[in-house]
Amino acid sequence: MRIVDQESDDVLLRQAAKGDEEAFTFLYRRHQAALYRFALRMTGNAWAAEEIVQDVFMTLMRDPRKYDATRGTVGGFLYGVARNRVMKHLERLPREVPLEEKNEDGTGPGIVLQDPATPASWAEKRERVDRVRAAVLDLPAEFREAIVLCELEEMSYEEAAQAIGCPIGTIRSRLHRGRALLMARLEILRDSPRRASVAQ
Amino acid sequence: MKCEEFEAIGLDGGRDASLSEAERAAIVEHVNSCARCAALLNSWQEARQELRALAEETLAAETPARVEMRLRQEFRTQHSAWKGRRMAVAASWALAAAAVLVGAVSWVMWREPQQVANVNHPNPAIVASDFNADDDSVTLVANNQSSDFTLLPGVQPGDIDDAEILRVRMQRGALGALGLPVNEDSASEWIQVDLLVGSDGSPQAVHLPQQE
Repeated sequence: MRIVDQESDDVLLRQAAKGDEEAFTFLYRRHQAALYRFALRMTGNAWAAEEIVQDVFMTLMRDPRKYDATRGTVGGFLYGVARNRVMKHLERLPREVPLEEKNEDGTGPGIVLQDPATPASWAEKRERVDRVRAAVLDLPAEFREAIVLCELEEMSYEEAAQAIGCPIGTIRSRLHRGRALLMARLEILRDSPRRASVAQ
Repeated sequence: MKCEEFEAIGLDGGRDASLSEAERAAIVEHVNSCARCAALLNSWQEARQELRALAEETLAAETPARVEMRLRQEFRTQHSAWKGRRMAVAASWALAAAAVLVGAVSWVMWREPQQVANVNHPNPAIVASDFNADDDSVTLVANNQSSDFTLLPGVQPGDIDDAEILRVRMQRGALGALGLPVNEDSASEWIQVDLLVGSDGSPQAVHLPQQE
């Protein structure tokens, strides 16, 4: 790599628009992970997230003039495109079944045991993660987005409002509703195994 | 603070930068005095821990490498196509410019001899084939009919079949050398005369335009 990693997104985008593949690649590498995580957490589908990220950068490649520097950052623009694609995806498939993510080599999801816990605690953690993922994916898209941005991406209310393009009050109310629904859903999911075992 | 207010702003009071110190104090006071809201806060903190676990699981998630490969391939394809299109456009413009240039040069070259011929020879029947402004005479090619010429003394009509026309400026008195009558009063006057010159270079006939 040249010194492109020192360059701002705007400079990289200008160079990419002139045909500089290295600049485009660096821009991609700088933003792909955040966009992928957002798409993955919103859709719960690794394939969909992959398609969405690819689509976002195809859009940037084919018409870089769509980005207007006076209206925000390149990162914000990419996030906006990704958000539109995610919403379209959710409209097409209003209810995604959360999938087990597989790596390219066919191994399990990106989960890495940070501490060598016992298999029992690992399984318990796994169960909790699956449960909360299902609960998040069960939220309506607008509440899910607020939860993903503020709770999973750890954005501040201001950052989330800027990303979505809405007032902070809207974020606050969506979070309020989203949390209530999430807790209710988690409660149901926590209870369902118990009910199943009692029934048996 | 009422329970509804707590539900709206109390669960995440620590992160909401827009809350005042008084509101934060009211949240703490309410949760210490309301068992229901304390349980709600506890429930949310549990849920939040689970959310943290989900976030950690996907923290290292990245787009598969194949996406970068596909994008780079597409980038190359697209920009090579753009380059091709740009070169085609540039070549088109260059060809068009060259065509215009050739046309302009041809037009100028065609116009210049026309203008020279028209200025020097108003008679459209005569076209200069060789012209030098400094010369007193020019070689002419004409489609004049030989009947416009007066045969010089001693010349037979058949002698002028191969003759060529030569336009010359001469003093009227020189006509006497050709055997023609000359008015001595105007002998020094310059006139333009067309001569029919035979293959041996001798004049065979004469045409005096001024006299017509």
